[in-house]
Parts: sequence; structure tokens; C-alpha cells
Amino acid sequence: MKNTQNNIRKIVVVALFGILFSSCEKHLENLYDNPNAVTTIDDSALFTKAVRSLFQGTTDQASARFAGQYAHYFVAGSTWRAPDQYGDGFDGDYNSMLKEGYSGTIRHIEEVLLITSTAGTQNNVRHAMADIIAVLGYAKMTDAFGDVPYNEGGKGKSENIIQPRYDSQQSIYTDLIARLASSIAVLKTANPELGYPGSDPIFDNNLDKWVRLANSVRLRLAMRLRYADPGLSQSTVVQCLSEPLMETPEHDAFMIETEGTGNAWFTRRTGFPSIKMSTFLIDQLQNTSDPRLSIFVSQDGSGQYSGITNGLTDQAFGNSNFANLSDMGLALSSPESKLFVMTAAETWLLRAEAALAYDNDPTAANSFFRNGIEASLNQWGVEAAEISDFMASPIATLSGNNDEEQIGVQLWLALTPNYFESWSHIRRTGFPVLPVRTDPGLHQGATNGIMPKRFNYPSFEQSSNATNLQEAISRQGANKIDTPIWWDKN
Amino acid sequence: MKNLLTVIGLMVFSIMGTAQTSVSGTVLEKNTDIPLLGVSVLVKGTTIGTTTDFDGKYSIDNVSDGAVLEFSFLGFKTVEITMTGQTTIDLALEEDGEQLDEVVVTALNIQRDKESLGYSISQVTADQVNVARENNVMNSLSGKVSGLQITQSNTGVDGSSRVLLRGITTISGNNRPLVVVDGIPINNGSGGAGGGGGIDRGDALSDINPDDVASISVLKGAGAAAAYGSLGMNGVILITTKSGTKKKGVGIGLNSSFLFTDIALTPDFQNEYGSGAFGDFAPINADGRPVLDYPFSWSWGPKMEGQAYTNWLGRQDVYAPNPNRNPYNEFYQTGFTMSNTLSFEGRNDKGSFRLAITDEDGQGIVSNNTLSKQTFNMRGSSNLTDKLKIDGKMTYITSKVKNRPELAEGSGNTALQLSLMPRDIRLQDVANNTINVNGEEIKWNLDNTFNNPYWALENAGNVDEKDRFQGFISTNWDLNERFNITAKSGIDYIVYDFTSFGARGANAISNGLGSYNHQTGKSSIWNSDILGTYTTNISDFNVTLSLGANYRNEFSSALNVSGNDAKVDGFYQISNYKNSFSNENTTKKGIYSFYGLGQFNYGGYLYFDVTLRNDNSSALPKTNNSYWYHSENMSLLFSKLLGLNSRILSQGKLRGSFAKVGNDTSPYRTQAVYNVDQTVTLPYTVASISGSLPSFDLRPETSESWEIGTELGFLDNRILLDATYYQTNTTDQIMAVPISGTSGFDSKVVNAGEIQNKGIEAQLNLIPFDSESFTWNLGFNFTKSNSKVVSLNEGLQNIVLGTLWTASVEARPGQEFGTIYGNDFLRDNFGRKIIGNDGLAQRGERVALGNINPDWYGGFTNQIRFKNFTLSSLITAQVGGEYYSYGRGYRLFFGTDQRSLVGRETGIIEDGINEFTGFENDVPANAMLKQFTDIFANEVATDLILDATNVKLREVALTFDFPETMLRNTFIQSATLSAVGRNLLFLYNASGDIDPEATYSSGPASTAFEHSSLPSTRSYGLNLKINF
Repeated sequence: MKNTQNNIRKIVVVALFGILFSSCEKHLENLYDNPNAVTTIDDSALFTKAVRSLFQGTTDQASARFAGQYAHYFVAGSTWRAPDQYGDGFDGDYNSMLKEGYSGTIRHIEEVLLITSTAGTQNNVRHAMADIIAVLGYAKMTDAFGDVPYNEGGKGKSENIIQPRYDSQQSIYTDLIARLASSIAVLKTANPELGYPGSDPIFDNNLDKWVRLANSVRLRLAMRLRYADPGLSQSTVVQCLSEPLMETPEHDAFMIETEGTGNAWFTRRTGFPSIKMSTFLIDQLQNTSDPRLSIFVSQDGSGQYSGITNGLTDQAFGNSNFANLSDMGLALSSPESKLFVMTAAETWLLRAEAALAYDNDPTAANSFFRNGIEASLNQWGVEAAEISDFMASPIATLSGNNDEEQIGVQLWLALTPNYFESWSHIRRTGFPVLPVRTDPGLHQGATNGIMPKRFNYPSFEQSSNATNLQEAISRQGANKIDTPIWWDKN
Repeated sequence: MKNLLTVIGLMVFSIMGTAQTSVSGTVLEKNTDIPLLGVSVLVKGTTIGTTTDFDGKYSIDNVSDGAVLEFSFLGFKTVEITMTGQTTIDLALEEDGEQLDEVVVTALNIQRDKESLGYSISQVTADQVNVARENNVMNSLSGKVSGLQITQSNTGVDGSSRVLLRGITTISGNNRPLVVVDGIPINNGSGGAGGGGGIDRGDALSDINPDDVASISVLKGAGAAAAYGSLGMNGVILITTKSGTKKKGVGIGLNSSFLFTDIALTPDFQNEYGSGAFGDFAPINADGRPVLDYPFSWSWGPKMEGQAYTNWLGRQDVYAPNPNRNPYNEFYQTGFTMSNTLSFEGRNDKGSFRLAITDEDGQGIVSNNTLSKQTFNMRGSSNLTDKLKIDGKMTYITSKVKNRPELAEGSGNTALQLSLMPRDIRLQDVANNTINVNGEEIKWNLDNTFNNPYWALENAGNVDEKDRFQGFISTNWDLNERFNITAKSGIDYIVYDFTSFGARGANAISNGLGSYNHQTGKSSIWNSDILGTYTTNISDFNVTLSLGANYRNEFSSALNVSGNDAKVDGFYQISNYKNSFSNENTTKKGIYSFYGLGQFNYGGYLYFDVTLRNDNSSALPKTNNSYWYHSENMSLLFSKLLGLNSRILSQGKLRGSFAKVGNDTSPYRTQAVYNVDQTVTLPYTVASISGSLPSFDLRPETSESWEIGTELGFLDNRILLDATYYQTNTTDQIMAVPISGTSGFDSKVVNAGEIQNKGIEAQLNLIPFDSESFTWNLGFNFTKSNSKVVSLNEGLQNIVLGTLWTASVEARPGQEFGTIYGNDFLRDNFGRKIIGNDGLAQRGERVALGNINPDWYGGFTNQIRFKNFTLSSLITAQVGGEYYSYGRGYRLFFGTDQRSLVGRETGIIEDGINEFTGFENDVPANAMLKQFTDIFANEVATDLILDATNVKLREVALTFDFPETMLRNTFIQSATLSAVGRNLLFLYNASGDIDPEATYSSGPASTAFEHSSLPSTRSYGLNLKINF
């Protein structure tokens, strides 16, 4: 009897402790979930994030100082100007540009690619659209640095890779082109309902326009290989020409930033440090009576278009009357300005170059060239009369003497203010021809006065991913800003 | 009848013979006459005995003549009285001056005899924190306790302080000790700004009212702290607040302080060259003002010799040295701190109470930086029955700080602006020209990282309000003489409301649009404990066993709204802003713990303690959320064991301790989530993924530590030495390690890395002289602590703990934690600088340039009492350790620093060899180009690494105790008046014109950087204490 009582007591004690422990566990579980976020979400919300990051990247504050000045569109004031002197002491900036590229577009599009290829949420159409965005994201990274992590890049979450291997630029380009081909194939016959209706920031889920975007980007990538891999370049161009391309500004891929304080060009024009337009750009536009002058450049206080010379020494800069020079044009730098990643104008001009290079067909080239200029003028809303005036000028017709340069200069103008693409374009073609800085009033920087050819890998990469980085450097050449990347043969 | 008488006679005789009597009396504390509660009264050699009650009263029956009564009480000298028929024995126990039985408060508020402890503990008394009073009580501990390193940041009134106990043990944790007030752990967060600017909102420790503090125990090692679980990993500071005592008089006390605060140290400025560059004035713009961009807004112009020129406002002026050599002295003012505490207390056999109210007001050296804080404190206890006692406290603190100064690179940092202002500009002109006709700020340069300091004073500011409630209720139930249960529940609850604003018209503030920010939030830490304790004797062992459980709940939530583009000037509410943004955040965490404590005492000379604890945390993955730790502490009083009690070695103790402590992490680091982005205009949803990758298999981190120490007393304890050696290895640290950006992410939460922390600390107290009218006490303490990074995450070469400009403070395997890295000059194999044909040095490798950890630090206290006067002083010293001063770098290349005078006219010939010829460089470089190139263009940090060695007269107090004769005919029971000073002066400062403690934040690695700090201050004034 006593034993039974004891046993009952023991059972009660054990049960009480059991209840206590299990209720503790239950309570801890209730506290486990993060109340500030969700654990599942439709991939459309991540797709919009990736796309928006891509467009925001065209005004990216960190890289604008570099590529924007390298492309000779403008010069920034104060300490922002330093990269214009072709120096290389910008380790922190190189790091943030590398990180931003991977953390904005790539981080989110990789998640979309994962979700749209996972059983249960698989969706080939969305996957094909996401691939196009991924291609644009990775192309920018490899164009800026050369070899970068690609197959293992951006896979920190999806594959738990925190020290990704670097891929050669050649292999990256080959794969980017192939991805675009498969996206085009899928999207040509896809049911739009399976795309991103209501969640497409660019084309409102118009798949025809997506096909044109993919194909035009493919043309851009193909032409970038012109001097590095002419075979692949030419065969890809042939494929591009067999599919629809961007033809009118209706097809342009653009976004207007309506969130926050608007696009970064607006805040840059109205804020500090200000940017002033480059003499090199103003001279080109002024000397050719280009109607885009008043679009790209604002008049200074005295109603003139006055530029700032790129590359000034500190003393010369101090004497430049910088504060009173021409700002960026309102069409580029207003809250309602469009941010472009790919345009019909660029596409036509690339086709003009391809017609010369691969078809040896100056007539077709001239026709595409004129289409490109006209598309660019239309893109910026130039008035019809001004368009016909300019189209009638010799500038708008290939002369037969320096066609490559004419096309190259117009491409540079058509890309304004997309400095990143413009910098790549100048590196590849050598057009427009930038003067080498020999004047004592100009800084020669770390490159003897020649436009830098890439960004350096940051020291943080050396600290966090050393083995893979060393492999890339031994393949590509010294980690310096004048080491040309693979496709840069000029 | 005769027989009967004989029997009675025999009985009486026998009674007389053994003389059984009852004894009663009162036991008081000597000198104060306060009744002592709980004094043990024992008939020696028997188990017969009792303890005194609340009035110090006791009575014992049947004590025979010749028996010896032993009166003993922890911390007092034991008194033995032989019975010779007395029926009343009143006596006054004297405090044990030899401190053989020093009573200290230990973990879980258990009072212990210090000699029984196997680990190092230091106790600080109320007088050490409430005479030379500091707003943040932690600052008063600086230099007084070995192993404790306090760095008071220079961030305005109510700034935060860096608090480290025995150095750094974790890479990413805050490394701050747990702070426990009356048994309830409170919020111990740190504060501060970043290198890019911001303000220091203070830390949670500055709300502890020094006037309510009764004593502070510093439990240094994990062994001491294991009872608090993971929270105690960095040591514990136990604060006991005052409870009601029985006092003579009516029990009213007043403690008043008034201290002035003024500038103690400023940078040295040159006063020979004014604005311009390359020795020339700036070109004049179309608007008639000089070019205000770099480099012309620096002080590299012509020599100021009274020539005519166009000044920064575009006016004709005389170019002459500044009448006011130092703009700091003109801009900053003398501030003050005033505090008044009124307390009421009392005690009787039913219980005790104490009520206190404190009002504190202050004004900083920046004229609009003010503090107003009120503390209401109620403490009461009651004996419901003989065996059941309740105790409780409620503290309400309300504070309002206005205009916490902006720091470091922040545009509103007045020190940065003043230190870079071209030397020809008169501050009066700046004050009189703040806004132009368009309502825009007027400045001497275009850079939006700067404001006009006077514009900022009037047009930008902040208000930081905080209400805080701390309280507990506890009950103590003595079931019988051996078994006791206490239960306690206490909370620290904070509500805050912070607004900051900047007017329209300054480029630095939202590009001239004006901005507004309003944050509100609350946080709480709620702890509930139950502890049962059983005491028994097993043969010669005295054993105390305790079992306990604890539940800790942490909660915080915040709501933040911000806006820019003001519609109407001077109106600061969110509705007035065209663009507005908001976000909110909530975190919750729960920890259940179960623990057991055992104390074993053999023979009064061998003590052994064990602790075992299990924590269960919601911040860890469900499968891994339970973890154990334990500690073992031993104390051997070898002098007692060996019967040594000579005058020469009057005390000898050896102690040792081992502890293994686990730790969890902040919540939500083990779950992958998507954040929903705040968008206003978009027709579609945008979501994003955090840059920090979670870990799904996180384990608790582990810290293993051991220490050995000794306490030796010589010459009747006139010489006391306490020394400890300790070592801690923290492994499996939970941290977000930075990862390659090409992974798509910034960091990943992992278990990685190991830090080994070891050190020596020693304390020596001397009493060279001790008499009725004259005493002299000396105290030295010494700490040497090193933290070495043993390993990091595999493949990771370094973790950057902080950066300023291009210097960084890092953790690298094999290196001391907190090593400062920066670019060095380019050098040849012999370490000589390689100089170009232009005479300029070049940028070299990124190398280790210094380390934040001192070689050693310590304090020296000296107290002399002569009759009613006491003079006490504290000198603190830090030897070794470096920091990077970007402030000096700025002043050098802006040409305002005294050191920038070198080579102005002749150029500077750099030490080094020509890059092409290999010969000694002989090409002079333009001084401005040299400073600019080295510091800014080449980002060379070498010359900006400064030695933090310093010796400071930290505290002086001269106290006068009003003698009783003076107070006899008043209703004042006691009164003291003190003249006090804090941080008075540097006796030695290796870095000259910069205070090595002048950091802008209080994180573990914060001492690495100085950036244009506010001038260091000293404070001095009077303190008056009166008891009625």
C-alpha cells in the first residue's frame, strides 16, 4: 500500500515535471519564428526585386563615379572625382561594386531560378524570363572585373557555396549566350498567363517584347566577342538576325523610378557633390549640331553649354570654375526620367557594325546606322523637324571612310547615360577615341593616362575567397586596372 | 522536616552550584549603534543557541555559569563572554577591520564569506561611486577594480561607456558583463555612433542612480558567473541598492552634488597660414566669393601677414592670424551637472522601507546639449511571519536628453567643422552668417559632409526621451532551519521616444530638403527565479545544496518613421514631409534554465563549490536548443589549515576555479525568410532576401575558463595582496562571418573561431598608518589581459571589426584580437621609404600597425584621513595600446594642425631613397601635396597610429566630516562636505593633444578609432551629504 502511494507520488512528480518541460518546449517553439518576415513568398515578388535592382544599377552611386567618368559623360565634384584621375586606390569601392552587383540582381534572381525549377513551383516561362535578367546581371559583373564566379556565383543560399570558384570570361559568355537562346525558344511559344502578369516592371508581361529583349542582349554579347572569339560572335549574330530584335523605342527596356526620392541622377543633379557634363561629350554634340545636346546637357548660369575636362589635376580643377558649369540635362535627371538597360537604338547600331564586320554590306550597315540614330532621337523625344534636319546632315550617313568610328561614336551617344555599357563599348571598339592624357594639367593616374580597362578585385575577396581568386588572377593576368579582360583586344 | 530542609537545601545548592540562568540582551553595531539582525549567539561547545531579531534582541534560557557565550556575525569580530551569573548582556560588535571575514554578494544574491570563494571578486562601496559622482555609475569604477576596463566615450552628456571585464572573449559579441541589480539582470547594451557619423544615445547602464547604490560586486570570471548561465560569460557586475536601515534621527538623507564641466584637452592648431592652396588664395568665383571647393577651402594659403584679401563671404578683409587661437575655446562652453537625492528610510521588527527621489540636471559643453533625469525609488520588505518574508522594489526613471551631439564624420559634428575651418576665418563671422536670403545655409566650403556649426546648433537637433521601470518582488520562506525557498520575479522595462530633425536649406541634410526621424520603441527583460536551499552537516562537512529554475523573456519592438522634403519651415512632424518612410521590428526570445548549486565546507578552511546549469533557448534550432554548463570552485585557507596565525602572515588563501559556459545568440538567425519591401507607388509586390545567410544547424558556443589565485595578508592584514591568473578559451563562436560578395550574400551565421584570453590581475592594499586621528590607505591594482585569435572560420583570413577611412581593426588568426591594419608606405627590404622623383612617398602594403589592447592598465588609490578630513585620489594608467586618429589626419591635410607648419615654405624632404637612383631622397615635396597624398590619396595610416599610453589624475575628493560637536544642537545627525574632481588632467599622455579615450562608440573594438572627437572634459565641484 505504501509502495503504491510512493509510486503514485513519483508518477505525479514525474508527470508534473513532464508537463513543465513540454510546456517550456512549446513556449520556445512559439518564440522561434521571426515575426518581421515571411518564410514563403511567390517568386514574382523576388523577380520584381531583381529587375528593379538591374535598372537601379544603371545609376548606381558607387560605380557611377568610375564608369561614368571613364565613359567621359561627366565629372563629379569633390572627392567623388578621384577615379577620373585614373587612379587605383579604391579598394573599398571595388568591393562595394562587386558586392552590389551580386547582392541586388543576382541574389534575388538566383532565388527565382531556384523556385521556378523546384518541383511543385516549377514554371518554365518564368524561369526563361528570369534567365534573361540573370544574364544581364552576370554580364555586367564579368564586363567590370573579367573572370568572376558564375557557375558557383550567387549560390550562397541555393547551394550553400560561400567560396565560389571563378569562371573564365570566355566560358561565362558562351553560357550567357546559350541561356538567352533557350529563353528565346521558350518564350516565343509560351502562354503569357504562366509569365508574370501584374508583376513585370518592364513590359507588363508582353512576351514578344521579352523575346526581343533577350535577342537584342544576345546581339550585344555576340558583338562584344567580335575580337576575342570571332567565330562564336558571327554564328551568334546569324542566330540573332533570325529572331525578332528591338526595332523601335516601343521595344526599349526601361523603368521609371517612382519610389523614394526618385532615380539617382535626379538626386545627383540636385544634390552634392554635383556632377558636371564632360567637355568631351559637349564638344561632340556641339560640333555636330546634335539635337541631343539640350537633352543630355543643361545650360549653365549664363545660358551656355560649358563642360569640364576629364582628368584634371587638383590644381587645375581648383581653377576650373566647376560649380558654374553645365549640369546633366533635365531629360536624363528628372524624377520622370527613364532608366534604360537595352534599347532599339543600340540594337540597330550593333546591327550596323555586324553588317560591316560579317556581311561586308555597307548599304545595309548605313541603313541600320540611320535607323539607330533615328531610334535614339525618338527615344529622347526629339521633335520631328529636328530629327529630319539631323538625319540630313553628313553625321547621319556612313561616309565609307571611317564607318567603324562613326558607328562607335553614335553607339556611345545612344547609350547615354548608361555609363557601364558605354565604358564596355569604348573598351571593345576604341570609339570614340579618347585622348591619351599627356598634358601636365592632366593626371596620368596608374595607367599612364589611358582609360582603365577593368576594376580591381578587392582585397576582401583575397581575404574571403583566396584560392579561387588566385586561380582567376593567374589565368587573367595581374590584378591591375590596366590589365585587359578577355574580350578587350583593342 | 529536617530531611525536607536538607532536600530543599540540596536542591538549592545544586541549582546554585550549576547556576542555570536565562540571559538576554541587545547586540548593536559598534559606532553606529544600529541593531544587528541575525547575530549568532551560541553556548560554546554545544548546539544551544539563538540569533538576534530585528532589534538586535536575543534571549537564551538555561545557561550555566562558566559557560562561554559566543557572539558571531559575518563581517564582525567574534566576541566570547564567560557567564558569571549575568542576566543581561548587551554588547556592540565591532566590524572586522582585518577583513578576515569580508562578506560579499555573489551570484543569485547569495551573501558569502569572501574567504570561501574559489574565484576572484571585488567589491566597491557606495562612497566610491556617489561622492565624486558620475552620471554613468560605470565610469566611477574605472581604475578601482582590477580586470575591469572602462572607457568613457566623448560623446556629450549621458554618453555610453565601454565596459570590459577581463578583456575580449568573443569576436562578434558585445563582450559586456552582465549587470544585475538586486538580483534582476538588466539591459546592458552599448551605444555610440559609427565612423560615418551619428550620435551616441547612451547605454542602459547610465540609468543606475549612484545615490541608490549600496554596494557593487564585480564577479570576474565565468566561474563566478556560471550561476547566471550564458549571460554571465563575460563576468557579472552585481549592484545592490540601498534598503531601509534603522538610523538615528528621523531617517531623512540628502545627497547633493554640483559639478562644473569644462574643456580639458583640445588639438593644437597653427595660426600662421589661412585659407587657400599651394600658398595662394583661392580664385574668385563669378559670385564674388572665393572658390569654396577643395583644396582651396583648406588652410594652405599664404602666410597671414595682415594683407588685404577677399574673405570667405566675398568681403574685403584683412588676412591676419586668428585673434582666438583655438576655436574650441570660443565655441564650447562650461557645462554643469547638478544632482539632488532625498531619501527616507526606516526599519523595525516588522520590516523596512526606503523611499528616494533623485533629480539630475546637466548641460554639456555644447550649449544646447542638456540632460534632465528623475529617479523614483521605493524599496520595502516585510516579515509576514517569523518564517516568511517579502521584499520588493520599484524604480521609475524618466530622462530627457536634448541634442546629443553628432560625432565623427557626421555633418553636424561641431568639432570636425571647427577643427577644419580655415584659420583666417573668425568664428564670430561664422556665427553671424548662417543663412542667406534664400534660406540656405552659408558655409566656407561646398562639401555636404560639413555644416556651419552655428547653423547646426540652431537648425538641427534631437530629443531623446526614455522612461524606464525596474522592479521586483521576492519572497523568502524558511520552511525550517535547514530548508529555505526563495522566489523572485523582476523586470527591466524601457520605453523610448527619439526624434531628430534638420531644417531645410543645408546640403548636408537630405540634399537641402530637410529631414525628420521619429523612433519609438519598448523593450523588456523579465526574469523569474525559484530557488530551494537545503543546509546540513555530514560528519565534518557543512553542505549547502540548492536547486533552482529560471525563466527569462526578452522582448523588444520599435517603430520608426522618417521623412524628407519639408513643406513648412521649422515644423517637425511627419505630416510636414512630402516623402515619408516607416518600418517596424519586433524580437522575442525566451530561455528556460534549471540549475543546481552545491557548497561544501570542511573544517572552515576548505571550501568547494559546484554549479550545474541547463539552458534552453528559443534562439537556437529546435534540435540543438538545450545546453549544459558547470563550474567548480575551490578555496583553501592554508593559514588556517596549518594553524599559522602569526602577525607576519596573517592570512593565506589559495583558490582555483574551472568553468564551462555555453551561450546562445540573438533570435532569428536559424531561419531563412523573405522581407516584404516597403513600396508606395508600385502596383506589384517587392520582396527581398537578407544579406546574412542563416544557419540551420547552429550549436551553442562554448567558453571554457580556469583561474588560480591567492590572497595573502601580512602584518595583521596591513598588507593585503590578491592576485589571479586566468585563461579563457571560447570556441564554436556564433557569428555572422563576412563571406565573399560573389556568393550573393554578405555574411553567414556559423559556429566558428576560437579566442584565447588570458591575463594576470593583482590588487595590493597597504595601510602604512592607522590611528584614531590619522589613517593612510594605499591601493594598487594591475591588469594585464591578452586576447589572441586562435582561429576563424576555415578559409577566412580576417574579420573586420570596424573601419574608419581606410584603417580597420581586425581579428586575424594568430594575431592579437583588435589589431589595427592600414596602408603603410612603400618600403625597401631595409624598411626605408621608396620616394618618387616628385619627392613623395608611395603607398605600400596593408600591414598591422598597432593593437587596441594595452600592455597593462591599472589604478593607484591613495586615501589620507586626518581627524575629520579625508583626502582621496585615484590615478589611472594605461601602458601600451594604439589607436588610429583620423581627426589628426584630417587636420593635417586640411593644414589646420600645428604639425602642418613643417616645411610650408621650404617643402618637406621625405626620409627615404629615390625609387630610381637608390640614393637618399633630396627632392623636397610641397608640404600640402605631401600631407594630402600620404593621408588622402594614398590612404597611408602609418603616421596616424598613436600610442594610447597615458596616466590620468582620474579622481580627487577632499571630504570634511562635520564633527558631532558641531551638530549637537541641530537635528542633523551627520554631515559631510566634499570637494571633488573627475578626469582632472593627464599626468602623461603619449599622443599629446588627443585623448586616447575619446572614442565615438562603446563597442568592444571602439577604442581603435578617434575621429574629431568633442574636446575631453574634466569636472569639478562639491558634494554635500546630510542625514537628519
